[in-house]
Amino acid sequence: MTIKYVFDRTIQLVLVIFIAMTVNFILPRVIPGDPVEAFLRSKMATSGGTVTFDIAKVGEEYRRKFGFDKPIWLQYAHYWNDVIHLELGVSLIHFPSKVSDQILNALPWTMGLLTASVIIAFVAGSVAGALLAWPQTPTWFTAALSPVMLLSTVPAFLLAIIMLWVFAADLRWFPGGGGFSSTHILRWNLASVRNIMYHAILPAGALVLSSLGGWALGMRALAISVLGEDYIMFAEAKGLPSRRIFLWYGMRNAMLPQVTALALTLGSVISGTVLVEAMFGYPGIGSLLFNAIATKDYFVIQGIVLMLILSLGSALFVIDMVYPLLDPRIRYN
Amino acid sequence: MTHFFRRFPGFIVGSVILLGTLLFSVLAPLVTDTSLEAVASAPPSLAPSGLYLLGTDAQGRDMLSVLALSIVPTLKIGVIAGLVGICIGLTLGLLSGFFGGPLDAMVILVADSLMTVPSIAILIIISTKVEDVSVELMGLIVALLAWMGPTRTIRAQVLSSRERAYTAVARANGSSELAVLFREVLPNLLPFVAASFVSSVSGAILASVGLEALGLGAQNVHTLGNTIYWARRYSAVLRGQWWWYGPPILVISLIFIALFLLSASLDQIANPAMTRQAARKRRKKQGGGDLSISSDAPSAIINTDTVVSVRDLRVVFKTNRGTTGAAVDGVSFSLNRGECMGLVGESGCGKTTLAMAMMSLIRPPGQITSGGVFLGTLEGSGSAHNPISSNKRWAEQNILELDEHHMRRIRLKGISLVPQAAMNSLNPVMRVHDQIADAINAHQHKTSRIGLKTMIEEALTSVGLPVTVANRFPHQLSGGMKQRVAMCIATVLRPQLIIADEPTSALDVVMQRQVMLTLRKVQKHLNAAMILIGHDMGFIAQASDSIGVLYAGQLVERGPTAAVLEAPRHPYTHLLSESLPGLDARKPLSGIPGLPPELFNLPSGCRFHPRCPYAFDRCITETPAMQLIGTFRYVACHLYPKHSSLPVRPANKPDAAGDMKHTINFATSATH
Repeated sequence: MTIKYVFDRTIQLVLVIFIAMTVNFILPRVIPGDPVEAFLRSKMATSGGTVTFDIAKVGEEYRRKFGFDKPIWLQYAHYWNDVIHLELGVSLIHFPSKVSDQILNALPWTMGLLTASVIIAFVAGSVAGALLAWPQTPTWFTAALSPVMLLSTVPAFLLAIIMLWVFAADLRWFPGGGGFSSTHILRWNLASVRNIMYHAILPAGALVLSSLGGWALGMRALAISVLGEDYIMFAEAKGLPSRRIFLWYGMRNAMLPQVTALALTLGSVISGTVLVEAMFGYPGIGSLLFNAIATKDYFVIQGIVLMLILSLGSALFVIDMVYPLLDPRIRYN
Repeated sequence: MTHFFRRFPGFIVGSVILLGTLLFSVLAPLVTDTSLEAVASAPPSLAPSGLYLLGTDAQGRDMLSVLALSIVPTLKIGVIAGLVGICIGLTLGLLSGFFGGPLDAMVILVADSLMTVPSIAILIIISTKVEDVSVELMGLIVALLAWMGPTRTIRAQVLSSRERAYTAVARANGSSELAVLFREVLPNLLPFVAASFVSSVSGAILASVGLEALGLGAQNVHTLGNTIYWARRYSAVLRGQWWWYGPPILVISLIFIALFLLSASLDQIANPAMTRQAARKRRKKQGGGDLSISSDAPSAIINTDTVVSVRDLRVVFKTNRGTTGAAVDGVSFSLNRGECMGLVGESGCGKTTLAMAMMSLIRPPGQITSGGVFLGTLEGSGSAHNPISSNKRWAEQNILELDEHHMRRIRLKGISLVPQAAMNSLNPVMRVHDQIADAINAHQHKTSRIGLKTMIEEALTSVGLPVTVANRFPHQLSGGMKQRVAMCIATVLRPQLIIADEPTSALDVVMQRQVMLTLRKVQKHLNAAMILIGHDMGFIAQASDSIGVLYAGQLVERGPTAAVLEAPRHPYTHLLSESLPGLDARKPLSGIPGLPPELFNLPSGCRFHPRCPYAFDRCITETPAMQLIGTFRYVACHLYPKHSSLPVRPANKPDAAGDMKHTINFATSATH
């Protein structure tokens, strides 16, 4: 892994983030519709409908405050200035709470749920997929795995609804939402951790079950092509035990494209998590986004999108850095 | 047609499900009254009962009608997005893949950047801003992020077909670039386009249902996602009103399953290798004692010097259509210690199959149906080296009947393989010393680390490699070095028999000689027997002590190298050695007229008779058996033992030399 490799990847990261952020800036301004207008109208609707002020004037004031009246290039400059200082504006609804505060409160919940479910689903799915491709896997395993694979065609958030119905409403084994019990005070102790885990099982379960099949199928295809390679045949000719060939000659080589697949689908993994959180009312970015959409809290939405772009870009960068450790052909180029 | 359906059941099931849902959405409104105003007058939140088969929602709408009405808009969104995505994907993919350059770079950069943005984010922003979202607009919005997948797939396919032979041929024929694009590249893209379309539709429906569930979907239209949104808004889940959200989820899942099955089978159509692999996976247990050995199968003289004896080995292959063909048909021979037998024959005559069969590495659709391989013990070589059991005498143990566990112990230690293309035979992610240590540890447990290191270093030195190679990865070595590493692995445990399957075919001529010399040196040092497989007669003649000639899966001649090549007895061998261009005499190149027979359409009697200039009537009806015609000379031909050597080749005249009854005209003998 050379300095040039790291440098190249860093430049790529910066370039891609730049383009994505510019798109994030341009897109809302290009599409017709004014957030301030919509916001004012909704405020009026909820306050009984009596108009005691000049809407246009109030609108003007809001626009000046939020910089919508300046020329576009100046807005762009301010946009980047704000981004660098991580100044994401204030929430329209929960005025004057800052957007960055709201996001920082919600972030740990999402990170926990996301990393746990992705790791479990990716590892379990990949191993299951490789076993599906291995000729010596017992048939009961293949049979037992098929219903799980079928589940993977159901989108995560719909699976979430089903699980809510079955496990929360019907059987009442698990709570129907939230990150922790409303009567529980969060502290750094075991009781809190258990409470959080208890509430996280259903959302995590929905995420894991819906993505397991996808990982397994992808890995199965990769493992099938790896198992047809000459070095597998030579490994058998060496008289190596099956397990060793499966792990060190088969899976080890099939993991490489599988990790690439993880990098490519991280975007949709995040989307799935956001929707599942919204279904469960889990206090992460997902619920934040859901509520912001429902109340048309424009800056919160934009701030969350920004943060998602940045985190996805960084995650891809990290995977790019990890890849040479897995594949010596890239390491010693 | 039925053949297609049997091979791709997913396609049928998927289509049936989709058509079923569409049918439901068309038929159900005929049964119930579907105008929304009419049904909205029903009592709200009713569980399923008589009049309302799927109950009603909180606003009194009959859920069955709502379900039926919501299917088409959802599918419509998916199809619109899929079509738009495919159009953009085809255009961009074709242009960028074919013309490359800055256009390609830009397309990839934009696609990559858009991939960095979580799609849901962009979609949410757009949906928040647009006021009146219609179904068509929804489709377009979702398509915005659906074009990247098809673009990349199509671009990748275009890039690979650019390099393929058929486009090169088209260009050489003078077609313009654009013509090549349309006539050669485009038709081969069709299966990929179809597969991309289906997955685009699937992704689009997923995204649109997600947006709708968040409340951002098309307004004033019933879609499956909208129904779920309203169910959530009215807390139907927690109130247990399953009839509200359950059926939409079920239908969505069915649609996704159908689309998944369709795209999986389209993938299989586009890439037929996938189905073949699945067939290969159904592996049956090898061995089992039903390997019958014919008692009058000729084999060589059995003495204490014999290292391996192959008796009447038969390997058949089954096709999908049920026909079987024997790739190796009744081969018998034996090898002594230190002997190197060259196994020659044309491509496809069964050489590699024979080698694999000897190591019991035949996988379905191939199967060893009869025959035996018997290993001897290496007495006096310093180690009691019977990997099976010290009690059994070698003549009684057919290793093909052993179970996998015991067979594994024999591989590499009893019989080892030097593979053909070592570049592909070494694990790319493991260092050389790990791969050698692997082999050692699998057979000798608990070797100390120092012992291991010494063994590896000795092994590397014996094949002429510097010790530093041990720490390298395979891709850091040259072709010749990789071949030597493979040789090193094959000889590190001092096997009795080394099977070298064209070990030098992938190397240049100078390397070939060096590697072959090293291999011979190691073999002599181990006093092991060797089978050297190849089709370069001249090369094999130099390297081997005896020769076996294989034709269409049968051994036709066997004997010491010099004798066989100077005075071949079998017509095929004679023609083979005649076809080798000599350095001294200049004569026109001669080959052997005709082609080797098809495995599933073998000639009757002697398999060589259609191409044999000596063929007579007995050759058509009776398969010649291998017979001993001299000291260690075997031949399978009806000319013997009547003749003592090959007669002068008859022309198309009836006065052939010798006592042959009649000569069949060569042209009429090919009656197949």
